[in-house]
Amino acid sequence: MQVSLDAFLVIGAALFCIGIYGLVTSRNAVRVLMSIELMLNAVNLNFLAFSNYLDSATIKGQVFSVFVITVAAAEAAVGLAIVLSIYRSRDTVDMEEFNLLRW
Amino acid sequence: MNFLSAVAVLKTATIVPELIVILTLVVVLIVDLVSGRSNRSLPTLTNLGLTAALGAIVWQWLHPQTSTLAFLGTFDSDRLSLVFRGIIAFSALLTSLISERYLLQAGVALGEYLVILLTATVGGMFLAGANEMVTIFVSLETLSIASYLLSGYTKRDPRSNEAALKYLLIGASSSAIFLYGMSLLYGLSAGETNLLRIAAAIRHPELAVVLAMVFIVAGIAFKLSAVPFHQWTPDVYEGSPTPVVAFLSVGSKAAGFALAVRFLVTVFHTIEPEWHYVFVILTILSMVLGNVVAIAQTSMKRMLAYSSIGQAGFVMLAMIVDTEAGYASMIFYLLVYLFMNMGAFACVILFALRTGTDQISAYSGLYQKDPLLTLCLSICLLSLGGIPPLAGFFGKLYIFWAGWQAGAYGLVILGLVMSVVSIYYYIRVVKQMVVKEPQEMSEAVMRYPQISWVEPGMRPLQVAMVSTLVITSIAGIAANPLFGIVNDAVTGSRFLQASVSPPVIVQSLP
Repeated sequence: MQVSLDAFLVIGAALFCIGIYGLVTSRNAVRVLMSIELMLNAVNLNFLAFSNYLDSATIKGQVFSVFVITVAAAEAAVGLAIVLSIYRSRDTVDMEEFNLLRW
Repeated sequence: MNFLSAVAVLKTATIVPELIVILTLVVVLIVDLVSGRSNRSLPTLTNLGLTAALGAIVWQWLHPQTSTLAFLGTFDSDRLSLVFRGIIAFSALLTSLISERYLLQAGVALGEYLVILLTATVGGMFLAGANEMVTIFVSLETLSIASYLLSGYTKRDPRSNEAALKYLLIGASSSAIFLYGMSLLYGLSAGETNLLRIAAAIRHPELAVVLAMVFIVAGIAFKLSAVPFHQWTPDVYEGSPTPVVAFLSVGSKAAGFALAVRFLVTVFHTIEPEWHYVFVILTILSMVLGNVVAIAQTSMKRMLAYSSIGQAGFVMLAMIVDTEAGYASMIFYLLVYLFMNMGAFACVILFALRTGTDQISAYSGLYQKDPLLTLCLSICLLSLGGIPPLAGFFGKLYIFWAGWQAGAYGLVILGLVMSVVSIYYYIRVVKQMVVKEPQEMSEAVMRYPQISWVEPGMRPLQVAMVSTLVITSIAGIAANPLFGIVNDAVTGSRFLQASVSPPVIVQSLP
């Protein structure tokens, strides 16, 4: 069965929206990081779908998503390091508690 | 293909300034590793490396090439990118000068700080010339991730931690939104990642292109901290180490403007009215909100954060008039903004080092104790406000003149009104420092220590302060060389020329 390009784009858009929803509603800093990861995966899905359907000769989209995955890993590493250091000084990862600076 | 022919085909010579910065970074890292914590030569090494990179940029400026695209079209080293790379490298140099004493006093390691700062510089410099979406993304993230680390650098300070976390979460989500826009562009152009080719492929203004533009603008506006994407700015500026804030407000912002100009002008020329419309809204909101909210601030760093939002509004005004004079005035303003803003931050750092506070009320009566600091901070703040004959006045004048010529009367009048508002809160600080009677002196100033420049790291701070003071004072009067540079930057850039004179664009497309 041939799946159309639209199906992938719809899933990508849905995943992106779920990511944004999680970003806005989560109180736990680690969950916010996970939501960002979802958004990046939605982007990857878009790139892979486009690269498969429109650019199957040079597959630039697949190369792009390799870069996105790599950078996302670096970002998650830095993010978790910062969450760890804030946990050491404040004993919490609850976003609502971080109010030393006016939000 | 052997190595030398690869170097020739890719035109590796175009990225010599970046290579010098990378080499410096590696050397600093190794020297720090080998010689241990007591080594005091690291800042000197960094400054030498950045000076050499600036020298390479000047050399490239003096020896222009006929074809500026390098690395198979992914990197454009035209004069526009050279100016922006110069601004970023210079801001890194000034940041490294003003941060040594601050870090020593904060009791944190110098080596890693300089390495991360240089990484951010490399990312920003590549971003200024990147002409392809993968390159743009990777260099943008190099700059961003290094900035997150810098803003959390004093890791025992809970405020710095909190600033870093907020910056990271908002920054990462905005770059995800930016990426989503890029993935739409990739699909719309049927599999192109090079900006020029995308522009050639999307000739018809459809709704999907506008959608992609909205995502891209949201991502870029975060970097520029344009209202309503500015919420992170005051928090990050207040919590982060002050030298880092200086870099973020000048270097990182200049990189954002380089990205904005190249991306939007190249790719979205078919829907130019739409993206101009979005940017007009961002400009109005930034100028109004940035300048008005700055009045109510009590912390100097937070006031400078809001003032930098307002200043970004003025620069965006210059960007959207889309004439040769508009782009030239934008680069001119960024050049003078580099010196006056860096100077202001150098003074804020020096004051915080001597008194340990950032509150505006603590500055009262400073003139009695430290005339040099008062003079330097006053000149920089007045220049930011646009008082003649300082550099900032000529920058603003040029922007408003370019806007008036292009017929953006409403925006120019709003800009003038908002400059008056900004003068109010800058003058308030100057008044606090100068006209207060001795008995009105704040406690911090009463306990002001004996002025001395002999502690390690004080001399670089003094050099940075005095040089920015001199340049801010005379750059406006002796502006002709600067005008020559910015005009060359605009005329020497192919994509800007294509934008300001629309008939050419049809012929130049493949």
